[in-house]
Amino acid sequence: MKPQDLMRSFLGSHRWAYVLAIVAIGGAEFLQVQIPHVLGQFINRLKAGATPYTVEHYALALAFFAACYVVAFGLGQLLMGQLARMMEYDVRQVLFRHWERLSSHYFQQHSVGDLLNHTLTDVTRVRQALSQGINQMSQAVFLFAATLYMTLGTINVELTLLSLLPLLLIPAVIVAMGPRVRMRSRRVQEALSDMAERAEESFLAIRLIKATSNEDTENGRFAGLANEVLARQMKLVELNTLFQAILPMLSGIAFTVGLLLGGYDVIHHVISLGGFVAFSAYLAMMVQPLMQFGRVINTFQNASASLVRLQVLLRVEPTIVDPAEPVRRDWRGEVTITHLTYRYPGSDARVLDDATVHIPRGSVLGIVGRTGAGKTTLLNLILRDYDPPPGTIALDGTDILDLRLEDLRELIAYVPQDGFLFSATIGENIAFSMPLVVPEAVERAASQSHILDAIREMPDGIHTEIGERGVTLSGGQRQRTAIARALIKSDARLLILDDSLSAVDTRTETDILRVLRRARGRKTTIIAAHRLSALRDADHIIVLDHGAVVERGTHEELLRAGGLYAELFRIQMGEEVGVHA
Amino acid sequence: MPETDWDEGREIRMTDSRTALTRLVGYAQPHVKGLLVVVGLAVLYVGAQVLQPWLVQLVIDKDLLVPHPAFEPILLLALLYLGVTLVGLGANLVQNRRLQWIGQRIVRNMRQDLFSHVESLAMRFFDTHATGRLITNVSSDTTNVSMFFTQFLLSVIQDGMMLLLVMGAMLALNWQLALMSFLVIPVIVLISVLFRKKLHQSYQYTRTQFSRLIGYTAENLGGMRITQIFHQERKQFQLHTELNRRYTGGNINEYRWSVLFNRSFDALGNLSVALMVWLGGLAVLHHGIEIGVLFAFTSYIRQFFQPINSLTQNWNTLQSSLVSAERIGGVLLEEPEIQDAADPVPVRWDRDGRAAVRGEVAFDHVSFGYVPNQTVLQDVTFAVPPQSFVGFVGETGAGKSTLMGLLTRFYDVQQGHITVDGVDIHRYRQHELHRMMAIVQQDVNIFSGTVADNIRLFRPDVTDQAVQEAAEIAGADEFIRKLPGGYEAWLRAKGANLSLGQRQLLAFARALTFNPKILILDEATASLDSHTEMVLQRGLTRIAEGRTTLVIAHRLSTVRDADLIFVMDQGQIVERGSHQHLMAQDGLYADLVHRSVPDTMAAL
Repeated sequence: MKPQDLMRSFLGSHRWAYVLAIVAIGGAEFLQVQIPHVLGQFINRLKAGATPYTVEHYALALAFFAACYVVAFGLGQLLMGQLARMMEYDVRQVLFRHWERLSSHYFQQHSVGDLLNHTLTDVTRVRQALSQGINQMSQAVFLFAATLYMTLGTINVELTLLSLLPLLLIPAVIVAMGPRVRMRSRRVQEALSDMAERAEESFLAIRLIKATSNEDTENGRFAGLANEVLARQMKLVELNTLFQAILPMLSGIAFTVGLLLGGYDVIHHVISLGGFVAFSAYLAMMVQPLMQFGRVINTFQNASASLVRLQVLLRVEPTIVDPAEPVRRDWRGEVTITHLTYRYPGSDARVLDDATVHIPRGSVLGIVGRTGAGKTTLLNLILRDYDPPPGTIALDGTDILDLRLEDLRELIAYVPQDGFLFSATIGENIAFSMPLVVPEAVERAASQSHILDAIREMPDGIHTEIGERGVTLSGGQRQRTAIARALIKSDARLLILDDSLSAVDTRTETDILRVLRRARGRKTTIIAAHRLSALRDADHIIVLDHGAVVERGTHEELLRAGGLYAELFRIQMGEEVGVHA
Repeated sequence: MPETDWDEGREIRMTDSRTALTRLVGYAQPHVKGLLVVVGLAVLYVGAQVLQPWLVQLVIDKDLLVPHPAFEPILLLALLYLGVTLVGLGANLVQNRRLQWIGQRIVRNMRQDLFSHVESLAMRFFDTHATGRLITNVSSDTTNVSMFFTQFLLSVIQDGMMLLLVMGAMLALNWQLALMSFLVIPVIVLISVLFRKKLHQSYQYTRTQFSRLIGYTAENLGGMRITQIFHQERKQFQLHTELNRRYTGGNINEYRWSVLFNRSFDALGNLSVALMVWLGGLAVLHHGIEIGVLFAFTSYIRQFFQPINSLTQNWNTLQSSLVSAERIGGVLLEEPEIQDAADPVPVRWDRDGRAAVRGEVAFDHVSFGYVPNQTVLQDVTFAVPPQSFVGFVGETGAGKSTLMGLLTRFYDVQQGHITVDGVDIHRYRQHELHRMMAIVQQDVNIFSGTVADNIRLFRPDVTDQAVQEAAEIAGADEFIRKLPGGYEAWLRAKGANLSLGQRQLLAFARALTFNPKILILDEATASLDSHTEMVLQRGLTRIAEGRTTLVIAHRLSTVRDADLIFVMDQGQIVERGSHQHLMAQDGLYADLVHRSVPDTMAAL
């Protein structure tokens, strides 16, 4: 859904609330401008001679208008602000749902920080435009019109127009200076975040800094950035203070003109004394809407840029989609990869080069190769993180492109390289794919991946919160939790481990592999690894180099062949390495 | 003020408010003269503002209400009005800039002091305090403190002055009417204080909910792939909906309170004008006052609202400034735990900047634990001959890295001694001890900056040539030259523009730049592929030449040819000897070797 459509439908379904809000604000401004008028008349009556009764009458009239104005204006404001916040809610919902539909490629191209800016800045700006923007705009329009009507009608045309001249510059000044103030304040923010980043860098590297006695250099570097913050801050102050002086200056000039001409008019009986008093009150009233005109223009400018950014975001379509006529049946889990050549979108480099592998149902395939050889890419294509070329990857003889994405992923239990976890309890993380599962199942999976003992030692056991992305866990514990999360999917036909044991020590690795052998049942298993010891159970091993399958066979066969695998093995065994003092 | 929102790390002691205030005042001391100028200018500005209604009153009563009014005095007063306005605004402009100038300088100094203080603290401090908190201390806490000067102080001066002068002017015009008008002040204060508390609470609630929502969104954007692969979009969306609903609810509630507050203030303002009309009108009738005075009163009574509102608002600023000042004070109170000895043993340096030591390292019955009652090292004794290459192996948690932390004096031993060339390391100056040795860690820190600066760690005294020589010996020169820009290529701290292997080579070059006599290597991680590791091994052999080298090995292959291997288990050295010796012994070492390779080829 486009943001404009979203806004249109929202405005449409709440149109009466909006009408009511605008009417309330308009009415409020009409009431507000009565106050100086009453005040002026009061002065005139007072000058002409009045009774205590008339005084009371005017005081009550003033109180009445004031009360009505406040109630009406408050009502309009409340409605408008509430509606805008409800709209904000809707936009956030749409945004999150949209992101959930997008494919991995998109998230690889955009940093989380950039994406967050949409929900932090853009959504908020659009809301501000809808709330403050419309609010102030209608207030300003009505108040300005009403004030003008009252001054022109009840006082004097010439006086009004001449005094108004300097005031008209106010919105112009705001529109001209607003963006420059924002620009400078952004530069301050940038310097501040540079400074915070430098502090972070330094605190994280504190061991290195201490070990090299480099504290003084670091202090100097930090001081430089702190000075930069100061310099930019002062630039902003310069502009801001000037800005804050110009606006009252303009209204001061307008007031002087009013005083001069008004006084002149009173002397020559063009206007009454009461008219003069009322006029000076009107003049003060006019400053507000004129300042608002300027601000509203800036708010709308910001919001329209944000709206465009949201529009661009919401227009992105998922690249991985379901087939028109999906194949649905019981799957057994045999994977065939045929002449798979792959380049990432927008790149010429072949990440996979004519790879052909057959993985029989229930067997274990090991994949080795150097960093960047294409191991992870191969696994990601099976997962349809990216779409493989048609006819290259098949499940039980059916192209995986012909399966519904949901069905394919239902069949796969996957352990990622980085062991990503959510900031929930450790139990919720393990039961991620089946939130309604019984605790016993969670414990079974945890024990299979050798994390259960560690969980039992945690303060709240399985209900222990593990912090943002699992920060409270060690690397090995994270990986083991991720393995449990995959193993709990006992119905899966395929188990995929992407170098998922790198952070556990060799003893634990041995244990986990032993359990996996029993737990995986008839699952087809694919294990990619750097450490060859993780592949000891593999029925079949392929060696990838620059995306091509250069060797294949069992461990013994590969060793005997004396190729890349044997070389990697020798390096890991330490045969060729000589280290001397 | 109690501190509750700390969720990670040990709590830093907080100073009390008085100490915090004293510290703030201490920073302001050099600026006393400047602050006095600011006060003077503020008086001028506020005076001008209060004078404005007075002038209009004069126009009405002295020029317009007379039988035969003349224009000249009006012209005079109008020009006076303009002059007063301009002088006031000018004073305000200068005053504002001056105050900001002072405030920003104070914050800058505070930031620099805080940063260098943190850098001087011992490792134990960093173990127990989350880095995120420290960064908050340096950046946002200092910003909060700056508001004490730029906002709170300004408000007290300006708004306080404004109130006083308005009250003074009213008293001078008509004291009876003035006293009656003052009745409105307690009402304004009461409303402000009551609402302010509610507003603050609802604002805090909304902020908390918002940061939860944003945190949740951020995490889900990062883990979207996992959500999709496990097909949990619906569940994650439901959680988002719940958080979004709570935030929106809080936000609407906060908005309601602020509308209610602003409109009550508005209503009160208008009602007090009505009240003025009533009281003042009666006074005019009884010829107690003139019409112009009544006009001035209706203007002045409105002038009460703005400063009182601003004062209560700034009361919150004061609170948050103080909390921040207390936090900063707490950090500044921490003393560096590791101190230099009173009578240090000087180290002689040769012409190349190398320490004139042989590099003999010995641990003598050393015991240590990070927390009481939890020994990490127990009675460890060993000696490393000068210029030898020794390895430390053992499972994770055996205490290998702790040994190195003690040798570098990141921590002080609890029992026993560590000596270099027979001298207890406590008796060296820390910076001299550190210059004798270099440490290469598992995680290589990259700073935002050029490759060359990353190698020389931004030290101006290390020449480009020295950097390049170090890189050549470490074997890093080859890959650096291939980078766009070579040694001037820009690296980002968080960006992954170097591979793990390249980072490790860079760390070798870094270590060599400082010509250490003792080299400590906390060996590269398991995630390095074997080929890269082989390249690193070659570099390692070269850089170890002529130095005492201590290697913590994760892969046993690294230390296979070491002069001496120490096998650690649960904080103790359980085996020692050469590879062949240890294999023949068929103990823990042999076991580790067997487990590190596939079953079929375990025998070696």
